[in-house]
Amino acid sequence: MDIRKVKKLVELMEESDLYEIEIKEGEDSVRISRQLGVQTQVTPPTVVLPIEPEKAAVTPSRGQIVNAPMVGTFYRAPSPGSPSFFEVGDRIKVGDILCIIESMKMMNQVKSEYAGTLEAVLVSNEQAVEFDQPLFTIV
Amino acid sequence: MHKVLIANRGEIALRIQRSCRELGIQTVAAYAAVDRDLLHLKFADEIVCISKNDYLCSENLVAAALTTGCDAVHPGYGFLSENAEFCRLVEDNGLTYIGPTSEQIAEMGNKILARRAFRALGISPVPGSEEEIDNLNDAINLVSQIGYPVVVKAAFGGGGRGIRIVDDEAMLAGAFSAAKAEAAAVFGDGAVYIEKFLDDARHIEVQIFGDGKGAAIHFGTRECSIQRRQQKVIEEAPAPNISQSILDALCEQAVAAVAAIEYRNAGTLEFLYQDGEFYFVEMNTRIQVEHPVTEAITGHDLLRLQIETADGNLLQTQNDIMFNGSAIECRINAEDDCYLPSPGVLSEVIFPGGAGVRVDSHLYAGYRVPHYFDSLVAKLIVWDRDRPGTLRKMQRALDEMMITGIETNKRKLQKIVSHEKFQEGDVNTRFLDQLTG
Repeated sequence: MDIRKVKKLVELMEESDLYEIEIKEGEDSVRISRQLGVQTQVTPPTVVLPIEPEKAAVTPSRGQIVNAPMVGTFYRAPSPGSPSFFEVGDRIKVGDILCIIESMKMMNQVKSEYAGTLEAVLVSNEQAVEFDQPLFTIV
Repeated sequence: MHKVLIANRGEIALRIQRSCRELGIQTVAAYAAVDRDLLHLKFADEIVCISKNDYLCSENLVAAALTTGCDAVHPGYGFLSENAEFCRLVEDNGLTYIGPTSEQIAEMGNKILARRAFRALGISPVPGSEEEIDNLNDAINLVSQIGYPVVVKAAFGGGGRGIRIVDDEAMLAGAFSAAKAEAAAVFGDGAVYIEKFLDDARHIEVQIFGDGKGAAIHFGTRECSIQRRQQKVIEEAPAPNISQSILDALCEQAVAAVAAIEYRNAGTLEFLYQDGEFYFVEMNTRIQVEHPVTEAITGHDLLRLQIETADGNLLQTQNDIMFNGSAIECRINAEDDCYLPSPGVLSEVIFPGGAGVRVDSHLYAGYRVPHYFDSLVAKLIVWDRDRPGTLRKMQRALDEMMITGIETNKRKLQKIVSHEKFQEGDVNTRFLDQLTG
């Protein structure tokens, strides 16, 4: 089960009144539960990802997660109307600007600490993000 | 006002939230990642993680208020609650700050300026320096005028930090540099001033509210003489064993002064009372930990009043404030017998109840008390019609309280509450340090 499916499940939860979804595919399973206090966005602790047996429950099956270093509004492109910094499948070098997080009218560039391929974008353009919120996975 | 960001944690975050909810105001809980299990998050309309383990991240707090569509921010106490820049950042971004103006925070935050301001308004400060003392020679000169013992204090201090008591000349140089160093480390500014140390004083404070336009009222006095190393442990309202006319005069003076500076929202003027004289110490420009004892004797919700004042409501008149009975608060700290922090997971939390008993706490069975923050985990407040009744009730309530999984200062509190001198109201600010050695 890949992260895009998980993301779709989360979107399904948010659009519905469901309290909890669990899906099993063979030996993989994912369970997503709603918090009592409604959160404005996805939080990682509530998502159980399919894992290799040796690894911890809340790390991705492979690759690195880029987390938000601050609270603000997520933008995929340098300015409205211009193309996104990167698309899924693009090669990323260390130091590449992945996105902008706007905080109090200040545009902050989020630079990649990792090199690899952009596997997934975990948030939507103009979404409010919190500290440490997962933004991208790079494999 | 329809949505408030709570920029704090623990019991005060829950306290702020409770008054918001009663007013039909939505709450956004800003939390550090290590605080994910805080009780008030469960009742928040939205929660936003703003850091790993700190509440001093001004930009993230303001950004969280903006992204969630808040129209106001409550800073609580401690953390950024007396930080003028944070207040300014909040207001510059179009949000209402539930508290005074940034200029008032800055002026009162500098204790040297505050002393000067209140002296000009006819309220005498504790005898001492009128300016910052930035070298040892000036310190020696000043002390030769006012005499030992003295106390060296951080100009931007608070919470009992950056203070050194000096008994004689041999200690002065060491105390002076130690206070400056602690002030720089804790408050980011090593400026200090020197006051006469009043060695037989009672800490008495006045709760005030201003509307920011020149009107102000008071909610009476509190006594907070039970302190360990300058940190309050037990507080009560009203201050006992002082005639009502003397207390009224003090409160009226305080009101006149804060009205003159057009003070906005809640504040407390702290005094030392010795030999029949009140000496101004400092003004705190925020809601205080011990506000519940004032709520108990007046029947007013001070957090609600803070919100309503910030929302532009008219302040009550002094005639609306009536006083009834006596209240005492004990601060319950997660600490062991040696006063060292005692974090841990709570297996049992039993709080007392019954007539006239209130507990403000974020604890619950299963909660993990973290080690990152200060050790206050609960406030136990009792009210009765007179002080003897309140003392009996506090003893009963402390006895009922059972917290398992961390160590607390329960036994130490019981020892103080049952002490003859405390029961007679015959204590000063040195009482507890002398009792515990």
